[in-house]
Amino acid sequence: MLHQGLILTSQREYAQAMRTGLMSLGDAQTRVDVELDALRAMQLVPQQYDLILLDVILDSMDGLQLLLLMKQQAPATKFVIVSDSPDETSRALAYQNGADFFLERPRSAKALQTALEAIKGLIIRHKSGKSPADTQDETLASITDIVQTRCLSGDSVLLLVRSKGQSGDIFIFRGEIYHAQYPGKGGEAAFNDMMHWDGGQLRIKELKLSHVPPRTIEVPYRQLLDTAEKSGALDADLLPPAGELLAISGEIPEGSTASSVVLEAPPREGGPTAVEALLSSGVDVSGETPIPALNSHWKINLMGELNEGSQVGEPDRCAFITYFIYRKLADVAVTLEVDYFSHLTLFGPHLQQVLVADNLGVRHAVFDTPWTTEDQRNQYVQWCREQSF
Amino acid sequence: MNKAFEQISLIEGVIAAAFVSNEGKLVGWCSNSAISPEALTFVSETCRVILSANRAEQRSAHTGVVAFGDRTLYVREGATGIFMAYLDSPTNDAVLVWFWDQVRPILESEGIKIEIPTS
Repeated sequence: MLHQGLILTSQREYAQAMRTGLMSLGDAQTRVDVELDALRAMQLVPQQYDLILLDVILDSMDGLQLLLLMKQQAPATKFVIVSDSPDETSRALAYQNGADFFLERPRSAKALQTALEAIKGLIIRHKSGKSPADTQDETLASITDIVQTRCLSGDSVLLLVRSKGQSGDIFIFRGEIYHAQYPGKGGEAAFNDMMHWDGGQLRIKELKLSHVPPRTIEVPYRQLLDTAEKSGALDADLLPPAGELLAISGEIPEGSTASSVVLEAPPREGGPTAVEALLSSGVDVSGETPIPALNSHWKINLMGELNEGSQVGEPDRCAFITYFIYRKLADVAVTLEVDYFSHLTLFGPHLQQVLVADNLGVRHAVFDTPWTTEDQRNQYVQWCREQSF
Repeated sequence: MNKAFEQISLIEGVIAAAFVSNEGKLVGWCSNSAISPEALTFVSETCRVILSANRAEQRSAHTGVVAFGDRTLYVREGATGIFMAYLDSPTNDAVLVWFWDQVRPILESEGIKIEIPTS
């Protein structure tokens, strides 16, 4: 059965018909996302999908190249390449780049039905083996026990947590909970919600962390667990369903939740490939910065790997932070229905930071707050644009 | 609060704006487009995480400006919550100062103070 699917295409009508068809291969909890923008598609985390259908030719991108990139990130996901005019070259290239099935775009209801039968067969074969949704190393376990054990042991792990309806991440670093997130929520509130998903019995996959994750939680883990336990003792009817936002103002339509936002915002950060890719870059990051006002700067590619940098103290950590922000901005872009961010400026009490994105990666610069002018920041943005060419 | 956001919605270039408390409650919002209050809450919460992403390294931020093509997302975090505005134009520092000078008294009239730490 299909749990989560994705259709990448620039053809809206086909997408709607195929989405309806794919939904029929699952149950009430099945989710099928549609992405019409190829650049936004590059920001998705393919590991979360059982099945991805993508066109050979997308608006501004070669679908077969995108397939190669995604297959590297999500080897367990099944990929179906869809073509308008199937030829042997495209077919051969598709299989060479990791496609599991090559499909001629269905033009009639009958053709669509035949295509769905083929996809159904692919999913059944897929499920008999290892799948991203039911990997053998994910065990049904008590989330409280796992968190407590990892914190007591002083471990540094990323817990990929899956309930029946959703999934999220908990970052534990050296025995303390640094961050928790699921689509639509982050920090302590997210952690508290996740502890109560499915009565606390969840599928949990653990990945070793060797870098310091972003920190949004500063409460000691014991206190967090106590709080979660106490809130769990409340009448379950009084608690909002996990993953929903409380309606707190009269303007919000009754019964509306953030779930619609979540459905439109599929990217989920911190996937295993991204984390593993960041562990060691081996890039020389000790050289001069291109602009004197810069403290340090670095660049990551869209896989989160460090490409280059200057005066970077902790390359792995810096790359991870940039990747984390980049993925979060992808969520924002999807929600606001805009393309790719072009640049972000962060003003803090100690530092200013500028992130500049292009189609191949993100550059991140750190400036001293008191001494940096807008002109100097613009100079950096301009320099980044020149590097893109 | 709704009147305050009605006023904010009249500021030139504002597509949407919202204030979300530290408890995650959408205290007030306005939207001149189809952006829903749930989406505004989601965006605010996501930006809150971005601002604090580098807190451990003293790189946390109180203000963020994101350029999405010709549009700008502006977020500013204070002691009680986070304010966001989605603007229909590119900006520079002078525009942002002008914009904040419009918004700050409106928010303060509703008891919301977003002071920027100086150190």
